[in-house]
Amino acid sequence: MVTLYDFELSASCYAVRLMLSILGVDYETVSLDIYPGADNQAQWFLALNPEGTLPVLVDDGTVVCSAIPGVQHLAARHDASGRWNPANEAVGEWLAVARALSASAGVARTGVAFGWDADLLAAQALAHGLLRQLDEHLWFGEREGRDWLVAGDHPSIADIAVFPDVVLSEEGGVSRQDYPAIRRWLDRVRRIPGFVVMSGVFPASPAHTR
Amino acid sequence: MALGVEGLRQAAWYPVASSDDLPFRHVYHGQLLGQELAIWRADDGHVNVWENRCLHRGVRLSIGINDGAELKCQYHGWRYANRTAGCTYIPAHPADAPARRITNRTYPVKERFGLVWSALTPEAPEPEVAERGFALRPIPVNATPEMVLAALVRRGSAVTELRPLGVVLMLKGAPGRATYFVQPVDAARAVIRGVVETAPDIATLRGFNAVLSVLRDEVEAEARRGALPEPIVPRYEPVSVELATMPDLVIGRQAKLRVVVKRRWQAAIDVTGLELAPLSGAHLPTFQPGAHIDLHLPNGLVRQYSITNGPGELTSYTIAVKREAESRGGSAAIADALRDGDVLAVSEPRNNFPLRRDAVRTTFIAGGIGLTPLLSMAKALKRQGLGFDFHAFARSEGHLPFGEDLDALGDGVTRHFGLSPAATAQAIREALGPHGFARHAYICGPGPMLELARGLAAALGWPDEAVHYEYFRNDHEIDRRSSFTVELARSALSLTVPAGKSILEVMRENGVDAPSSCEQGACGTCLTRVLEGEIDHQDVYLNATEKAAGNVMMTCVSRAISARLVLDI
Repeated sequence: MVTLYDFELSASCYAVRLMLSILGVDYETVSLDIYPGADNQAQWFLALNPEGTLPVLVDDGTVVCSAIPGVQHLAARHDASGRWNPANEAVGEWLAVARALSASAGVARTGVAFGWDADLLAAQALAHGLLRQLDEHLWFGEREGRDWLVAGDHPSIADIAVFPDVVLSEEGGVSRQDYPAIRRWLDRVRRIPGFVVMSGVFPASPAHTR
Repeated sequence: MALGVEGLRQAAWYPVASSDDLPFRHVYHGQLLGQELAIWRADDGHVNVWENRCLHRGVRLSIGINDGAELKCQYHGWRYANRTAGCTYIPAHPADAPARRITNRTYPVKERFGLVWSALTPEAPEPEVAERGFALRPIPVNATPEMVLAALVRRGSAVTELRPLGVVLMLKGAPGRATYFVQPVDAARAVIRGVVETAPDIATLRGFNAVLSVLRDEVEAEARRGALPEPIVPRYEPVSVELATMPDLVIGRQAKLRVVVKRRWQAAIDVTGLELAPLSGAHLPTFQPGAHIDLHLPNGLVRQYSITNGPGELTSYTIAVKREAESRGGSAAIADALRDGDVLAVSEPRNNFPLRRDAVRTTFIAGGIGLTPLLSMAKALKRQGLGFDFHAFARSEGHLPFGEDLDALGDGVTRHFGLSPAATAQAIREALGPHGFARHAYICGPGPMLELARGLAAALGWPDEAVHYEYFRNDHEIDRRSSFTVELARSALSLTVPAGKSILEVMRENGVDAPSSCEQGACGTCLTRVLEGEIDHQDVYLNATEKAAGNVMMTCVSRAISARLVLDI
């Protein structure tokens, strides 16, 4: 039995929802309203996760807090193919980029959308720096026949972890107009079977006819 | 080099994307001199450069859906056709054909030298570059285009300038010579678009990228030290006068378009296929599935033919003409006299047979040549992934045109050949089945078959509003014996319609023109609202429910039972 403690508008929760859906894992959702409701500060929730952060994944008694450990756990436990978390150190490097994006593009977004404390200009500038690197990596990937962040012909947990803060960046005032290779990669991720949208994320054009 | 924004607008075409930026079913987000662009390649290879704004609520089309033939806005699903950017469907008005003036702004486009080019001023001189080239990774720079160009020149040697914003040079540290264009994105934003002759290896590409990235960082540092100009205020120009005026409401049977017969072929026994291409310009006007054009024949006759094209196919219209045994000169003129290369006058497309796309299941029933409008409809549904059944009836396989188009529609197609009237009735009954929620049927074919199918649908419990049909012609004898008065409420005019003349004819004699097409009560073009009076319906366009409601009429054939009719004209 898998339970996700979830906030609909959270980019971190979205990463876990994506992984659950793509892997076809059956799960229950406990919805929390952390803004403006502050449900995550309730005693019962702090008992589950003393940090008071979302997402929290409870899988057969194992409690996993936050997005990247959640995604890693799901790949380890529910991906029999082993393709989602390949033994490649590049996965870890891109998970670090995902954390950095969360601390920049993600902070800019919650700053704009929820009015949470943030140095918006600094967060946006950091995000643009990361997106420049990401765009360059993906442009050369296209030349080298690599569709995903990590080498190989299959997406990995790195794509899933990086995706949410990138696809939602414009809500934090970080335009993706200057990153065409990122925009194409966003299309590819959105075409992964089992992909789900969230508020602010639109589906990509279907391209199954080719 | 201080042309200013207006100078730059006039001075040239500029690159707005790499060719490689437009993969299958993608929408690219571009910008030129402050004007945001949605750039997308249709499945037929055509690149569309449009204003990045849905005409409905202004949402960016660059987040829309490229379905290969049309671009669909994410917000309320308005669809715009490849090439013209004309709106073809509005989901909130499923039963209506969108007005022709709902057409997005398009910009000219050329694909050359590995780049996609466009211009805000179409008269601007075209790029003088080689046909082929390989575009390096584009480098966006937050600085004025002039600063970026100056930096390229400063760090280059053997410089050849390509005005206003291009250079050929060898950048210090770069793996080779290249052509660089600076795309003026905005007053203080630019993209360096480098091009080399052929695709280099990855190491060379990385070499160029590294040198250009350093250059970008330096120019941006320089830009941060000074005062940068404010962003350009984009121009949202109103639609053209031609589109904004509504000629459909003030002209009669006019043929505004000139087309050339690109191909004429035997599509089936007694059926001539015609592919009509524009005489000038790259494409024909937007049409919606179900639309027809009036063909003005050399012998003076005017005939209506349905467009069979799929969505976004606007480089030509394909129609089919059946040679009628008792031709009054229309079909014979086409079958016998027309040749490839002949020029014809046709009307703009008009849609009185619109297709709903909110049905849970759509059933098409086509008799012989009647499949033409339904073919266009089925192609649109197929493109959108919506389900349908298509029943094509014909005397024999040889009598059925467009067999290949039917094959391409897939599993939903059933062909019925040489059935007796009883067997036809049975097949139609089975095709329709009992009416279910949100089911719609579209029927087109010879009069007797249409009557049969409508009768069967009614007997199976199908309501009038779910049964859509189009007659080729009105076979009923028109009774023109009555005489009566019509009052044109908006024109404040009272006219007497004598026996032997139609309302339409009398209106025209008195200077009140109105749109019309078939002028025999079949096509629906002259549909007019009736405010008062009892109508003597003689058309085959309106269904029984619409006739009973008594608030619309066809002025070309229908008359008055009461002594006076008040029309909303």
